[in-house]
Amino acid sequence: MNEKEQNFDRLKQLLKLKQHEVPPPGYFNNFSSDVIARIRAGEAGGRQTFADRIRTGTPWFASFMEIFDTRPGLVGGFATSLCLLLVFGVIFAEHSEESSDNMLVISGASALPASSVAPLTTPTLASAAVPGAQPTGIVASTNPVTSLQPVTTLFGQPGASPLFQSASFAPAGQ
Amino acid sequence: MIMSETAPIAESGSPAGVPEGDLVRRARTGDLNAYDDLVKRYQERIYATVYHMTSNHEDANDIAQESFIKAFQALKSFKGGSSFYTWLYRIAVNKTINFLKQRKNKHHFSLNDLDFNTENNPDLVALISDKTPFRDVGLTELQKKLNEALLRLSEPHRMVVVLHDVQGQSHDEIAEIMGCNIGTVRSRLFYARQQLQGFLAEYVKTS
Repeated sequence: MNEKEQNFDRLKQLLKLKQHEVPPPGYFNNFSSDVIARIRAGEAGGRQTFADRIRTGTPWFASFMEIFDTRPGLVGGFATSLCLLLVFGVIFAEHSEESSDNMLVISGASALPASSVAPLTTPTLASAAVPGAQPTGIVASTNPVTSLQPVTTLFGQPGASPLFQSASFAPAGQ
Repeated sequence: MIMSETAPIAESGSPAGVPEGDLVRRARTGDLNAYDDLVKRYQERIYATVYHMTSNHEDANDIAQESFIKAFQALKSFKGGSSFYTWLYRIAVNKTINFLKQRKNKHHFSLNDLDFNTENNPDLVALISDKTPFRDVGLTELQKKLNEALLRLSEPHRMVVVLHDVQGQSHDEIAEIMGCNIGTVRSRLFYARQQLQGFLAEYVKTS
């Protein structure tokens, strides 16, 4: 180690050459005034970017971003995890849509007999709970509402194409 | 002029005796005159650090100015946990490393700027007059070889060598500036010196 240190002494001597690399004479005369002018121009023009405003306004965010500055490898990792999160989110959303569709189909099948039973049973139950009460017709049901009626839309009958309409053109006078 | 050695706090035309803390407080309230004093106080050291990392005056100028501007904009987030000088250095170091990552493989030197005192420096005189290959090369050529060798180091290793062996910063200061522990600084310094020694073998070896 000592021998290596001695070898490094020669290297250190060589590195001192770097101390003699200087900018042209008078270089620093206008340096600070240039910096201040740029700051003034930035303030006047409001050139501070949105990212800069976030950084200055939220120090924790600035320190969070500094982690990426010093360890750029983390940027890739962070981006990958975000992508994975997005992909899982999409897959999960599709899966949950499928399962809710299945539930609708199942409950729709069970809703048919229930719909025929409900008008009979519910008023009976209501009148049984409150003796002398007349059935009001207000029914509370947990079954999903499925309509068996064809749906009419604002744009015409279902099944009819609302986008295209046959048209003919005949010049005036014919 | 040796611009990169650690200098006393009040230098470069800034008003001597004004404590750094006062200037920082005033600058935080938007006092640009106070910030001008801070810039004057540290401009040469920040510039030198960036220059030794980039080996190019134009790049060093841009990065040093941007570092000061960013520091002013972020001054409100400066809590005073470290000295303003260390905090400013950290901004400059991060900016420089980011710049170098973008500039990869575009090496261009400013090679015509050795100052008048170079040939009178006792260390260099000893080095050149010694029985080494230094005798056969000019100082500019030597400077070129040195810069090429430095640019072959990774940014963190180069930064440690520049801050320690060129700028004269202590291990503690470097650890604080680079946001790592002292052990890391020491190991990076050792590894970087070994690498440099290998790159500059024909110039460093003793005969």
